[in-house]
Parts: sequence; C-alpha cells; structure tokens
Amino acid sequence: MMIPFGHALAFAAALFILGLTCVLARRQIIMILIGVEIMLNAASLVFIAASAYWQQADGQVFVILLMAITAAEVAVALAMVVYLWRRKKTMIADQFNGMRG
Amino acid sequence: MSVNDLLALTPILILVLGGTALLMVCAWYRAPRPLLAGGVTVALMAALAAGLVPPPATEISGLFSATSYARFFTILWSLLAAAGIMISARYVIDWRLGAGEYVSLVLYAAAGMALLSSATHLLGLFLALETFTLAFYILIACNRRCEFAAEAGLKYLLTGAVATGFMAFGIALIYASSGSLHLPEALTSLTTATGALQAWGFLGWGMFLVAIGFKISLAPFHLWTADVYQGAPAPVSGLLATGSKGAVVAALVGVIAVAGPVWHDLQDLLWFMAVITMLAGAFGAFTQQNLKRLLAYSSVVHMGTLLVGLICQSAEGNVATVFYLVAYVITSFGAFAVIASLADERGEPMHFDQWRGLGYRHPIRCAVLSLFLLSLAGLPATAGFMAKLVIFQAALHSGFTGLVLVGIFASLISFAFYLRVILVLYQSQNETSSWHPGSAMEHAVLTVCASAVLLLGLFPGILLDLISLILT
Repeated sequence: MMIPFGHALAFAAALFILGLTCVLARRQIIMILIGVEIMLNAASLVFIAASAYWQQADGQVFVILLMAITAAEVAVALAMVVYLWRRKKTMIADQFNGMRG
Repeated sequence: MSVNDLLALTPILILVLGGTALLMVCAWYRAPRPLLAGGVTVALMAALAAGLVPPPATEISGLFSATSYARFFTILWSLLAAAGIMISARYVIDWRLGAGEYVSLVLYAAAGMALLSSATHLLGLFLALETFTLAFYILIACNRRCEFAAEAGLKYLLTGAVATGFMAFGIALIYASSGSLHLPEALTSLTTATGALQAWGFLGWGMFLVAIGFKISLAPFHLWTADVYQGAPAPVSGLLATGSKGAVVAALVGVIAVAGPVWHDLQDLLWFMAVITMLAGAFGAFTQQNLKRLLAYSSVVHMGTLLVGLICQSAEGNVATVFYLVAYVITSFGAFAVIASLADERGEPMHFDQWRGLGYRHPIRCAVLSLFLLSLAGLPATAGFMAKLVIFQAALHSGFTGLVLVGIFASLISFAFYLRVILVLYQSQNETSSWHPGSAMEHAVLTVCASAVLLLGLFPGILLDLISLILT
C-alpha cells in the first residue's frame, strides 16, 4: 500500500523541526552537527517521497548527491572538532567567544 | 554529457583539474613558490579559456548555463582567485599553511562560485554552493598561528551547516510542490500549483531565502559575519566577502530573470529584509574598533543595497545589480588586500590603535585604502558612487521610493564610519610601528584594484554597456 504524500511530508517536517531544535537547544558541537544531519535527512525523505509522487528519478538523484555532500561536510566538520579540541580542550560552542566587537 | 557539454565546461574543468593536479603534486613536492605560481597560472588560464573558447551549447546537462552572462562571472571569479592566491603568497610561505592544499582549495572555491553564478537547476545551484562553502570551511581555519582562526572556522561551519539544512529542505519542498528542479519550471509551477502543494512551495522558497540570507549575511542572519572575517586570514576574508557572496547574488539575478510574477509575492518579504539589512549593517559598523570587522559590517550594508536592485525585477535593476556587484567586489577585495599586504610576523593590523598614524608610515598603501573606503562609501569619481547611483535610479524607476530613502540614509551613516577610519589613518604621526613593506605581487593587485575603481568611477559606460549586452 502506498503511503500518502501528505503523511510523508508531515513526518519529514517533524524530523526537520526536531533537528533544528537540537541545533538551537544543544550547546555541544557534536550534538549541533547531529542536529544538522537530521535536518538533511528530513530533506532526503521529502525528495524520496516527492520522487515517488511525481514518478521521476530526479529526487532520488538529488538524495544520492546529498549523501555525498553530507559525507564531505561531516569529514570537514569532524576534522574541525578535533582541531578545536586540541586548541581549547572543550566541545561547548559557547566557550568559543574570544572575538568581541 | 556530450563532447559539447565538456567543451562548454572548459574553464571550470581547468580550475578543478588544475587544482587537483596541484594537490597531487604537493604530496611529493612541497616548495611553496612553484605551487603558488601554478595556482595563479591555472586561474588565469581558466579566465582566458572562458573569454576565448566560445561555448558550443547554451546549457550544460540542464544544470548550468553557458551563456555570456555565465562566462562573464567565470572570468570575474577566476581573476579573483588569481588575485587571492597572489596576495596570500606571503601568508602561505611565512606561516607555513601548506601551499598545495591552500591553492587547490582556492581554485575549487572559484570553480564553485563560477558554477553557482551560472546555475539554472536547483541541483546545480546546491552543489555549486556546497563546493565553495566546503572549501571555505577549511580556508578560514587553516592558519594555526592565529588564535581566532579556529573559532572563526567553527562559527562559519555551524552557520554554514544550518544554512545547508535549510537550503536542502527548501529545495526538497520546492521539488515536492512543483515536480521539477529546473528553475524556470520550478518557479512557474508555483503559480499553477493548487492548495497544499502551493503552500509547501512557498514554504520551500521561504526556507531557500533563509539559506541565501545566511550565505550573503542578510539581517537577521548576519551575526556570524564580523567574527568570521576577523578570524580568517585577510585574503580569505576578502574572497569570502566578495566571491562567495557575489556568486550567490549572481545566481539570484538568474533566478529572478525566470521568476515572473512569483517574485511579486516575495517582494514584501525582501523589501523588509533589505531595509533591516542596510540599517543593521550601518549601525553595527558604527561601534567597531577593528578594520576587518568594520569591513564585514560594510559588506552587510552592501548586500542590503544589492537586494534593492534585485527587488526591482526589471532589466535596469538587473544591470544595476551586476554593476554594483562588480564595483563592490573590486573595492572590497582591494581593502582586504591592503590589510594582507601590511601583515607581517606579528599578524595583521586590525585594531584602530594599530592603524593610527599609519598614513605617514605607509603613505601609498594608506592612500589606496582611503580610496577603497571612499568608494565603499560612495564618493563621486569612484566606482562605488556610480554603482549606488544606478541602483537607486533603477529602484526609483520601479517605484521603490521608501527603499531608496532608507538606502541613502544607510549610505550617510556608512560615510561617517568610513571617514572615521581615514581620520585614524592620518592622526598623530608618531608612536606607530611600521608594518611589512609588501611584496611586488601585492602591489600589483592593489594597483589593478585601485585603477579599476577609478576607471569604473570615471567611465562607467564601458561596463554598463557590457553588462546590458550580456544580460539580454
């Protein structure tokens, strides 16, 4: 049985909001990055659902490329996390407040 | 992908393959000077290829256009990359930044910017945007000597990642509502879609604009700008302020060209964003004591003004936007290049205390910096003045009097804070220390930027004619 398009969109929207909440509420850099991943996965879900709804492969192609981009971004982000840890021995985003106007 | 597509992509391929080749070479051969020279050569070759090789197709795989508009920006960003590498040379050598990696990242960023300026498909737009964003994540944080580089990198990474999330979800919703990722169809179906689908579509475009707002630092998404520009090396800040924002604006010009009546529905939102961006930038800059932060807020004001040109959605507005963009890119990059040319083993002169009286120590470069600041402020006989004139004229013709008044008000405030920097430069002769005399390449870049600013200010007709030619 086909899942209705609206349900898929609503689920993805909920996932996106959860991810955004995680980004805004958590102060640990790793948790913020996980929140971003959840936001991106919500986008992937919409693409897959829309791809099925419109009977096209475009959305699925986008998802594959989105996965590649996400992987690249995570690689850079985790390298940055290691680099930041070495410098300041903290993972809390608010501790990085050395610059003032 | 046919042979014609590959031929049309030649300049981008030169940038990407050249960057990759340099990256491979630097695994075994780490002398910085030849690698830097190689990077400049690759960027100039790409500019040359974009200018000389006529594209056999007008659209590449339905993702990117290969029109003269796309070529114009490919040339501009390639030249910018070349200039960026030239003014980074001393940073790379003195601070041991890893020449091969640095150069190839700048070239990848230029390729991303060139692709973004020519995107006709949401997938192409997204990929191009991510290409240079990923390169900039690393470039910003690459200087291990600077205490704030890592912090700046983190701030750009987090805002960039959130913007990516919004962009991806926005595009997903646009696709869900329209069934197409190709920009013209995706935009027109917004008017034809019905009910819930149309609502999702508008939500998608709204989120898309939020992501764009993060990227070109429109208020209220501009708060990262000053910190990132302060922490990044000056050449990278220069590229970030000009290329990465300019490419997004160039892509937006392409979007509104095909947007049609949909743009009217977004106009009120953009009107509001333009007003608060110009005011937030102008008032934010007022209290700054650091030249790099001041230039960051100045870029916020300029992005707001560029939005005025985009809102017009007329041929005149588009020409004015592109002209303003070119003038801003040259001027702002020049200002960062002056900072880069003064940097020595102590770092860069940033705080106003370090700039006080520097006009007597380094008279020529401080005069050039003053010229750039006056151009950013929009004083007559400079590029900035003509740019402001054409953009406000276009807005008046489209009936946005209120927006023009806010723009002029913001320009007046901006004038005060640019003037403050110039006053600091020519205060009290004594007590300042000298900075680096600057290398020949840095002087060359500054000469080119300064003459371009004067040339565009005195003879704007040349570029205006060219732009109206490539936009039609």
